[in-house]
Amino acid sequence: MKYAPWIALALLIAAAIALWRFYSPSGAPTVVVYVSHDQVFSEPILKDFENDTGIKVRAVYDTEETKSAGAMNRLIAEKSNPQADVYWANEPIRAEVLRQQRIAAPYVSPNAEGIPATFRDPDGYWTGFAARARVLIVNTSLDQRPASVLSYTDARWRGKMVIANPLFGTTTDQIAALFVLWGDERGRSFMQNVHDNGVKASPSNGDSADLVARGEFAFSLVDSDDVINRMKQHQPVDLVYPDQGADEIGCFIVPNAAVLIAGAPHPEAGKKLIDYLLSPDTEGKLALSDAAQIPLHPGVPPPAQLRPIESIKVMDVNYAAVAAKLQAIQPFLKSWVAGE
Amino acid sequence: MIELRAVSKNYNGRRVIDSVSLRMERSERVVLFGPSGCGKSTVLQLIAGLTLPDLGEILIDNELVARAHKNLREPEERGIGMVFQDLALWPHMTVAENIEFGLRAKRFPHKQRAQRVSEMVDLVRLGDYLNARPAELSGGQQQRVALARALALTPRILLMDEPLSTLDDELNRQLRQEILRLHDDLGFTLVYVTHSRDEARELGSRTIFLKQGRLDGEQS
Amino acid sequence: MEKRLTLWAAAAALAVIGLLPLLTMVTNSLVVNGVFSLQAYQALWESGSEQLALMGNSILLSLYVTLLATIMGVPLGILLGKTDLPLRRSLTALLTVPLLIPPYVIAVAWFALIGSGGWMSSVAPEASKHLATAFFGLYGCTGVLFTAFMPIVILLTIAYVGAVNPRLEDAGRLVSGWGGVLRHITLPSIAPAILFAAILVFLLTLGEVGVPTYLRYRVYPVETLTQFAAFYDFSAATAAAIPLLAITLALLALEYPILRNRTSELRTVMFGGRAHIKLGRWRFPLLALVLAWTAVTVALPLAVLIAQSWSASAYADAFARAGGSILRSLVFAAVGASLLMLVGFFGGYLIHNRTLPVWRGVDALTLFLFTLPGTVVGIGLISLWNTPMSNFIYSTPAIIILGYLAQYAVLPTRMTSAILDRVPRSLEQAAQLSGATWFMTLRQVVVPLARRGLIAVWIIAYVFCLRDLGVSMVVYPPGSDTLPVRILTLMANGAPSLIAALCVILIAVTLLPLGAVALWSGRTNP
Repeated sequence: MKYAPWIALALLIAAAIALWRFYSPSGAPTVVVYVSHDQVFSEPILKDFENDTGIKVRAVYDTEETKSAGAMNRLIAEKSNPQADVYWANEPIRAEVLRQQRIAAPYVSPNAEGIPATFRDPDGYWTGFAARARVLIVNTSLDQRPASVLSYTDARWRGKMVIANPLFGTTTDQIAALFVLWGDERGRSFMQNVHDNGVKASPSNGDSADLVARGEFAFSLVDSDDVINRMKQHQPVDLVYPDQGADEIGCFIVPNAAVLIAGAPHPEAGKKLIDYLLSPDTEGKLALSDAAQIPLHPGVPPPAQLRPIESIKVMDVNYAAVAAKLQAIQPFLKSWVAGE
Repeated sequence: MIELRAVSKNYNGRRVIDSVSLRMERSERVVLFGPSGCGKSTVLQLIAGLTLPDLGEILIDNELVARAHKNLREPEERGIGMVFQDLALWPHMTVAENIEFGLRAKRFPHKQRAQRVSEMVDLVRLGDYLNARPAELSGGQQQRVALARALALTPRILLMDEPLSTLDDELNRQLRQEILRLHDDLGFTLVYVTHSRDEARELGSRTIFLKQGRLDGEQS
Repeated sequence: MEKRLTLWAAAAALAVIGLLPLLTMVTNSLVVNGVFSLQAYQALWESGSEQLALMGNSILLSLYVTLLATIMGVPLGILLGKTDLPLRRSLTALLTVPLLIPPYVIAVAWFALIGSGGWMSSVAPEASKHLATAFFGLYGCTGVLFTAFMPIVILLTIAYVGAVNPRLEDAGRLVSGWGGVLRHITLPSIAPAILFAAILVFLLTLGEVGVPTYLRYRVYPVETLTQFAAFYDFSAATAAAIPLLAITLALLALEYPILRNRTSELRTVMFGGRAHIKLGRWRFPLLALVLAWTAVTVALPLAVLIAQSWSASAYADAFARAGGSILRSLVFAAVGASLLMLVGFFGGYLIHNRTLPVWRGVDALTLFLFTLPGTVVGIGLISLWNTPMSNFIYSTPAIIILGYLAQYAVLPTRMTSAILDRVPRSLEQAAQLSGATWFMTLRQVVVPLARRGLIAVWIIAYVFCLRDLGVSMVVYPPGSDTLPVRILTLMANGAPSLIAALCVILIAVTLLPLGAVALWSGRTNP
């Protein structure tokens, strides 16, 4: 008993050394992937890849941006000595940032065939798959429904609108896209009008969706999977594809993006994983799961509650331009949030 | 045997020992006498090497063991035993273990250690309390354990810092006799700190007076 | 010689583990495109008024939380650590639970209780409406974080209140009741521990991002996070973290005079047991109060978690999802706590004895590292260790352990320093004069006497390592995430029942080993 603590300490150190050896890279085929798509949905896909190919997947998962700064910052910080082979981005803007920072390597997968050119980098630095649409979630108690992003400036909805923090995620992407489409002056004016119309900011799309579902706000711009999830929970919400009219700007689409990392430790395994992610099978699984992602390969059925990509009027933007614009308007958005 | 040459020591900006020079001969019984706060305990700490002088030199048997801000001989190398004011008995060890500790530190073989512990315990007449812990002993018994521990390694110098101050008169007297007897038997140099005139009179062959950190006379 | 060498080695270890990554980050923040630049710091300076407002919010929130946690936590700690209140050990374990749950989860649980659509809205809709409105903002943040961090004050109070010299209290009891003794003797003697606990709570609140973001209260650390998450600008994020150094220095400046002006050290008499206050007729009324408090602050949010996870399938799913993260969390935390105890022991010894001239620097460094957001510490570790030569560290769980050591070194160093305060210096000196080497003295005299306190150090270090998110999130090797990290990553669209079940599992795996340690400690220290 006298020596119990020393024995316990010795056992601990032995366990630590064993664990260290166990976790040291072994000879088995391995791929390291950093994932920004929700772990709840992405992990099953990666497990299927492991079972189908025998390649062990070691993953780093991300959190909602407002809670941490995970995968992207790691990739940037590790640039000089990459640890990851693949980055599974949940939107193409991050993939673009990686390309601009020379962290991405070009790879055109055979499974990229069929995916519309809008959703791919022309040089193969990233390839989009399984998308979300930026839609309006509305409470079903509403007599009238918003039909456009411009509804945020409509006096009818004064004080009844919420939007996710425009410094993070797909909200930032969409605002940057609007700036690209409209130009800086109109973009700033729009944001000022939104502010003046009494919009509230929430921490995330999920929080926005919950607030609308609870009836605290009339509508919000969120991702399509946020709406589908609340619908499945039988919450009183519905979905509106904004700006679908002939002269309107269309719905901003946010695909996932697969990126091969420059200097990856296991590039061949990385390419195999990218091929797997871009396959129609994977898109089908992501459509059927609670992720409710819209396939980009033609002929792959979308989630039951969503239209196929071909029947949505898609906002015509260049994601590289959106990425560049996003970085340019960050200081503006920062002061917009501060003034909120 | 023990020599302090113009030793000074400061604590928190206050000079507690001010250019003190003194000399103690081998096997002498020297008492350091003075009021509380005059620096007596600091002199013991300096001789033991537990604190460093700011100025001056300390020699033991003509060997320089300490100079300003530096020990040239570490405390454990000076052949010194010490009975602290709070006795500093290790509460988690038995009487035997307290006495044996120094012997184990010096890597005495087991048999020799056991024999020496037995000798010490007999010397201080605590034979029945080998396995007792300090908390189970009376004040006088604790004093004797502290003495036995200090003498276990046959030190050439024994430092005692007001060891009897908390005891009643009768016990105090008994232990004074004990210390004198041990001194006669073992022949160490005794440096004894006290503010009691009775103790100074009985224990010291020479008394050195200290006042506000300075020497204030001597008496044999 | 061995003492100085070992203490220098400990100081050097802390410098390498904690200071080097920080210096790397700061150096990188001063270089733009290979050229020296103060751009990041200039930008920070130029946004001064906005930053000041955010910092003001952060400090206000931290002060409120610290005040409440101390006012409630100290009396609770005394009740649980020094009286004959029934069920003390169980209540202590229960009251520790909020510390183990990510504060964000506590906020969500409370909202599920009092928010619209929650339990309270069906029972008292008007009250629920008012509470829900008040919940979003400073008051909600204060409430959540105070319940999350109060266990720190309780645990540290319990750890130190039992070590007060019982003779001093006895002397006081001859002329005063326990009220006077507690006020004039006990509390002053554990004031350093209370002050340290308050500092920890203050700094943890200062660095908290998740709860203020959820409850829409704008705070300064969001600036650092924003620079990372929105801009990927490490230089700006580092620059944003530097003002926190000013906070650290301010806290140290506050602490040192208070500690220096304390009267003579009140040491534990090794010969007596701890004094227990007999509550008499107040025993059961106070028990009822503590139970009520526990019910509101612990049982209610815990009940929400359990209610949300109340199905076998939820737990089956949780265990399947958790995978190896449960075992990893336990092992990493145990290893981290053990190494923290080791490095912290020597660091604490160094600070306590002021053996080397760098003792103040070591103290300040460990406190500053605790102040920094875990993300900054993590990125610093990546900057330093992510090289081909050091890959054998970076790509293994060793990097997480280094992260724990960097972020939490202040806990064992400060606690050890306080523990050593209770071991009379003469005991070490006596051993030294007896010829013992320094290591022998530590092994056979100091550590046995400090054992109880060192166990408390290990427990506190274990809890902090286990609940760590900031650093782990950024540096965990792919495939080696811990359970708290996994909970946070699964929270994005994970079913509430899954998250709740994972939180319950986290609480269980934390309390079980702690229970074992407490049991073993109780048997060997009756």
